[in-house]
Parts: sequence; structure tokens; C-alpha cells
Amino acid sequence: MPNPSVLCSLRGQPVVVALVERWRPDGHRATGAICAALRGLGAALVVVTHDAVWCVRPDDEAEALDDAEATRAHAEAIARARRISTPAIVVLDEHGEARFARGTDGDLSVAIANALEGALCTIASTEIRMTRREIVTATLVSAFALSLLDGCAHTSVAHDGHDEARGSDVVVLHVNGADHRVRVDADTTLLDALRERIGLTGTKKGCDMGQCGACTVLVDGRRVLSCLTLAARVQSARVTTIEGLARGDSLHPMQAAFVAEDAFQCGFCTPGQVMSAVGLLAEGHAQTDDDVRDLMSGNICRCGAYPNIVAAIRRARGA
Amino acid sequence: MLPYAIATTNDVGHAVTLGSDAHSEFIAGGTCVVDYQRIGVDREDTLVDISTLPLATMDLRADGSLRVGALVTNSALAYHVAVGERFPVLREAILAGASPQIRNMATTGGNLLQRSRCPYFRDLASYCNKREPGSGCAAQDGYNRTHAILGGSSRCISTHPSDMCVALLALDAVVHTQSASGARAIAMADFHVVPGEHPEIETALRKGELVTYVDVPATRFAARSHYLKVRDRASFDFALASAAVALDLDGTTIRAARIALGGVATKPWRSV
Repeated sequence: MPNPSVLCSLRGQPVVVALVERWRPDGHRATGAICAALRGLGAALVVVTHDAVWCVRPDDEAEALDDAEATRAHAEAIARARRISTPAIVVLDEHGEARFARGTDGDLSVAIANALEGALCTIASTEIRMTRREIVTATLVSAFALSLLDGCAHTSVAHDGHDEARGSDVVVLHVNGADHRVRVDADTTLLDALRERIGLTGTKKGCDMGQCGACTVLVDGRRVLSCLTLAARVQSARVTTIEGLARGDSLHPMQAAFVAEDAFQCGFCTPGQVMSAVGLLAEGHAQTDDDVRDLMSGNICRCGAYPNIVAAIRRARGA
Repeated sequence: MLPYAIATTNDVGHAVTLGSDAHSEFIAGGTCVVDYQRIGVDREDTLVDISTLPLATMDLRADGSLRVGALVTNSALAYHVAVGERFPVLREAILAGASPQIRNMATTGGNLLQRSRCPYFRDLASYCNKREPGSGCAAQDGYNRTHAILGGSSRCISTHPSDMCVALLALDAVVHTQSASGARAIAMADFHVVPGEHPEIETALRKGELVTYVDVPATRFAARSHYLKVRDRASFDFALASAAVALDLDGTTIRAARIALGGVATKPWRSV
């Protein structure tokens, strides 16, 4: 009879579950303010990795749990039900119900901001069944949990091979001249693999449905949408992202042209615009500015920097 | 998006066997499949990856016709020199569709099988006979300025979104397929079907039947052809109305004409 999931035995208190690739407790102690919040509200933190499960309580050393297998399966089932991939943060209320769940970015500060924003949006848009006290708990412990992710997001997976039950597999992606071994599910997009597995967050997730172009990358030199590309299907291809354009401190001519022409405002669409523009020139079908406008129509800029983007492409073409 | 598996094969026969499973669907460019899987409209467990099948070639044949493999990308087809010279309506239609990134991924076979862009079809909370047969059609009395004028039924009025198919219809193209029971050829005019009582049936294809290539015949009208598309945006948008027109001219006399309409009917619509 296997041990039950620790997430069940912790019912009666809020639990923050951090699903990460790899984590070791060395040097991770809660900071004072978060400790106080955890202590006062009786919340526990459970860190789930590929090969271990840790329970972290304020002021204590992390405790490795015996019933890791059941707990890991439980946490992964919650994440799967919420359709999020790792690394991720899930906040369970005292009844064991997931109140907040979200995948995180490789960049820690971005992850914290996203998590807090996501928690607030979730709470604001749903029937409020949490007290204000519980909301404070959820956000504080989320931040606490995320602080543990530092250094975790960029590590490679802990074990190799095919996991049929999860439909996941370890694949090798050739990105910007380097090979990356990453574990992906069958439905993991190249975009999520780049951002959440490899830590290359330059490629942006805009609409995630092929309509905005923010996720544009080059696959074997051709511009494609990474949000509509399954990672497992591009194992034999060469992927180039915005991080792969510059040579050391020397910007790619297209990047330099975007800077020179001030071809952005908020900058969110810019990596996709630049990658699309590089693909555009490689294709060689744009003779006029009108051609450029038409053949850049897959990249939307909410700030409306289009005239300067066209100017940048004109400049790069002449360079 | 729910977990699923990807099956790969280099053999057309094997692909057909894999694709015959009720819980599988083919994936090539993926621009439609990944999107519709993610929003929950498609729910097959297994994707049969056909991208490595030997169907990615284009052959210009001695009689002037063009044989296009199902895996030829929209970009490769549109920018092929012979297409520009002999079938300009096909080039123009393809380049009027989607974005360059999507055209680099999307294939000829996939374009034939594009799913409806009806907002109610894509919204799992809405009634839609195409998605859930018998549930009703929210478009009938809903937001339907982009819906079909021709070929609709009380069950469904969603338009067919493809531009390429409109051109192929005007050019009398023929779709070739392979299934467990053998190969067959389907005229473009018969490939897509009107919704009638069964909007969930969109084409003449049977489960597991794979599009292998498309033949575009040499005709006297193909070279003098043009595609006109009207849409809300200047580029990267689906047609509100479009027309593929091909004429066989003798001086100023029209000897023969082909006109196909897009964006206004439940399937690519042959007008003349």
C-alpha cells in the first residue's frame, strides 16, 4: 500500500506547491516577513522535484518526505488538470482545492510579478471565497515559493527517457548553435520549451494562437510561429531565437536598425518583429515598402510603431 | 490542451493505418491542429505526424499540369516560378491568406482541410452543430456578418476560410487521396460539402483517408487569372468576400470563364 500524498495530510491549512525541475534545500531559508506570514497563517510549502519532495516550514530546515512518489503524482495531476507545465506554482486552500495555479518564467522577478498579477486577476474575476487574510497568505507564500525557484528554472531535467504515462519525453533541441536536452510533453510548444524549459525568454508569448507574431523564431532559417510548433517535432531542426542574433556585443544588423530607427515603444513585440524581419530579408520577396508592410503583417504592434519598423527594415536591407 | 501522443512514420500506408484510429488525426504544418487542440475543439489523443512522408515535391509535367504534393508548404507553392507564370490566381490566393510565418508552416493538404473560423465553433461555451452535433447554431441569430450567404442550412452558416481552395476550384484542380481501401481522385468541386443536416461533415474524406497530392491541370484560362479579396484589414485577415477569376480570351471575346467565390459560402463556391 503506497503512502498517501502529503498534500492530503496537510489539509486544514493553505499549502503552496512549487513544481520545479530540481531543487536542493541548501541555503534556502524563508525571509523574515514571509516567515511571519507563514507562521501566523499556518501555511506550508511543498517543493516537488523530479526525484524528491520537500516540506518547508518557516524557521525550520527543509524536510525530505518519504511519500514523495504519491505526492509528486498528486501535484502533477493538479498541474495537468489546470493545464500548466513546470516550473509552476499552485496554491491549495485548506480544503485542498487549487485556488491559484500558473507556470513560471525563467526570470525570477518576472515570475513573481506574473504570479502575483495572476493571483489577483483570478481572485478579482471569480466569486471570492477567500478572506482578505487568505488572499494575503496566498500572495505572500507564492512570493516565498518563487524565491526558492531561483537557480531552478534553468537547470536541465533530472532523469532521462520516455515516460509513457505522461506522454513526455526527453528531446534534444538545437537552439542558437547549442544543444539543449529538455523534457517535453507531446503537446509542449516550441515557445514553452524555449521559455520555460531552456530559459530563453526573449521569445514572447502574445496571443498563443498564431495571430500576433510575438513568438516568431527561425526554424532552419525560415520564420515560423513557435506557439503553433510542437517542440517534439523540431528535434532535427536548427532553431534561432532573438538571443541567437547578436555576435557577442555586436548587434545583428536588423537589431541595430531597429535601435537606430526607434522601431518600438513598449518592446514586447520587438523580438518577434526582428526575427520576422530577418526571415523576410532572407526570403527576398520584399521589393518595396508596401511589400514590407504586407509581408510583415503577421506581426502585430499594439503601440503602432509600424512606420519605424518599415524604416528599420529599409535601413537593414541597405546595410 | 490535454496530453496526447505523437506517432511518426515515413510510410504512406502506415500513416493511413495510424490515421484510421478513431482517436487520431494527421498533423503536418500544425497551424490549425495545434490551435484547435489547444482551444479544445479538436480532442484526438494521438497526432499522426506525416511531415516526413515523401509528399513534399512539386512536379511540372509535360502536359503543362502541376502536381503538388500534400506537404508542399503554402510559401513554396506560391513562390514557385511556374505557379506565377501559369497559375497566377493560385499564387495570389495563397499570398492573400494568413501571414508569412503561417504560410511557411502550412501545407497544401492542410489548407484543404482548414477548420471553420466561426467564433461559435471556436468557443466551447457556445452552441454549435459542427462541434457538437444537435446542440444548435448560435450564429443564426448571433454575430454573423462574416457568415455564409450561400450554401448554408438551418444547422450551420459558417464559411470556409481558405483562399487557396477558391483558386484551386476555379482551376478545376483534382485532389488525390490514399486510404486503406486504395487511392482515389476527387474533383475540387466535390471535395468540400455543404453543411445540410450534418455540418460536422466538411469534406468527402473518410476517416484515415490521406490527401497525397493535388493536380492542377493545364487549361486555356489558367494563365489569365486573378484573385481579389476583400477583408476588414489590409492584410492577414480572412475574406469577407473573394473571387478567383480565370478567363480564356480570344482578343476581346471571352471564350470561357471560371469564377469561384470565397468568404461568402459554406464551401468554396463555383459561380461560373
